Amino acid sequence: MVSISAHDLRLVYEVRERLSLRPRDKRVEQQTGGTISGSGNRRFVTALDGVSFELKAGDRLGLVGANGAGKTTLLKVLYGIYEPTGGALAVAGRVDALFNIDLGFRAEATGRRNILLRGLINGWSEAEIAEKTDEIIAFSELGEFIDMPFKSYSQGMGARLAFAIATTLEPQILLMDEWIGAGDAAFQAKATRRMDELAEKAGIIILASHQPDLIARTCNKLLELEHGRVKRFEGIGPS
Amino acid sequence: MHRILANAWADMAAGYARRRVWITLATEDIGDQHRRTTLGPLWLLINYFAFAATFIFVFAPAPSAQFAIYVATGLLVWNYMNDSISQAVTLFEREQSFIRGTNLPLSAYVMRVTLQNVIRGLYAVFGCAVILVFAQVNITPAWLWAGLGLVIILVCSPAVVALFGFLGVFFPDSQFIVTNLMRVAMFATPLFWTHEGEGGLRGALYYWNPFTYFLDMVRQPIVDGTVHWSSFAFSIVFTLVVWALAVLMLGAYRKKVALIV
Repeated sequence: MVSISAHDLRLVYEVRERLSLRPRDKRVEQQTGGTISGSGNRRFVTALDGVSFELKAGDRLGLVGANGAGKTTLLKVLYGIYEPTGGALAVAGRVDALFNIDLGFRAEATGRRNILLRGLINGWSEAEIAEKTDEIIAFSELGEFIDMPFKSYSQGMGARLAFAIATTLEPQILLMDEWIGAGDAAFQAKATRRMDELAEKAGIIILASHQPDLIARTCNKLLELEHGRVKRFEGIGPS
Repeated sequence: MHRILANAWADMAAGYARRRVWITLATEDIGDQHRRTTLGPLWLLINYFAFAATFIFVFAPAPSAQFAIYVATGLLVWNYMNDSISQAVTLFEREQSFIRGTNLPLSAYVMRVTLQNVIRGLYAVFGCAVILVFAQVNITPAWLWAGLGLVIILVCSPAVVALFGFLGVFFPDSQFIVTNLMRVAMFATPLFWTHEGEGGLRGALYYWNPFTYFLDMVRQPIVDGTVHWSSFAFSIVFTLVVWALAVLMLGAYRKKVALIV
């Protein structure tokens, strides 16, 4: 049964002063949002603090909050890129994630090769990927560009391909981070339909976005983060 | 400690399960590096011949077939070890797009660069074979020991890549330090000079240089059909120690790298 159960999740990490021969840099090098505590050589970033929520099959969660509130960090914890430093997390189901399209694609390779690579990264066999490739290309509307290098794509083209790959390979849990701003209105409508289908197949979708109308249109639950803590978690429509 | 070992095991098991990813990436890397060139990966072979010819004809005390065999086999091993270390130190920085965007285990990146180096090494093996044929080398049963030496080097290299990868993440200056040290090490390693038992600086460079023993395992059986057991003993112990350190680092820091690169 597809589900996500997060209880009192915390992600606190020490900003290590990297060993270096140059004079000390006082700026804090941090990969996540969150609050900074401590001083001098021991500074800590609390990126997530006491985050709890439960999602079941068919849920579509809208993740909102200001920049640096912890939305991307939470998605990366759910995907397994970051490991929580406290609390309990149970994720049941095959997960795929769409982050910034500059992450996780091979810029020099063609769109077609990137389909293969993403499929392999998600644990699919080459035969299974080959079977789905034409469908992915058709959904992405890239046409002959599919055999051009990924680095030659516009943001919108890259996002279309990323979305097509992630949703055609049928993840049970799909995590999306601000991806949908790219792509024209027609593609966005098509993408929303695809997400509905995915959720109807008893999957879970988590969509981080700054667009309230998009969240209202596609999600049935809302989780708002503020400084890494849950500000509200509630239902927002018929589930 | 149990948690660290379990983490390392989980990472390596996931790396094995996703082996198609790093095999595909590594083979594409070699093609990409020579994509715009006419000769493609044949440049790897040309590079090897250029180095070997320079050492054989410029640095030889007196040109001889024996010295050509000595240089050809030594250079084969040296190039592999040099590539492994030099590329490892920037590995996780180079891979940050995948590290921050996918849940691939770190061992997949380690194996990607290891396999790249093996493919490069295979071009050098071909070049080495050509030189050995021209030098009319005698094939003896001792060559099996050279083969075992190559296997030990291959087994050691992923652990070396992982260790230098972590070093590059936590100590960014190390990439420049290591690059310079490896340049110096090429001259400090008995690659195109021989050691006849003399002491002094040359003797110290010979005995205190770990590269010496890895080179010697492969080279000595081919050059004169003898085996230096001490080189095998040192290399095996060194490999075990490096693997132990790499497993500890992987177990302790595998999820911290994404927060740093």
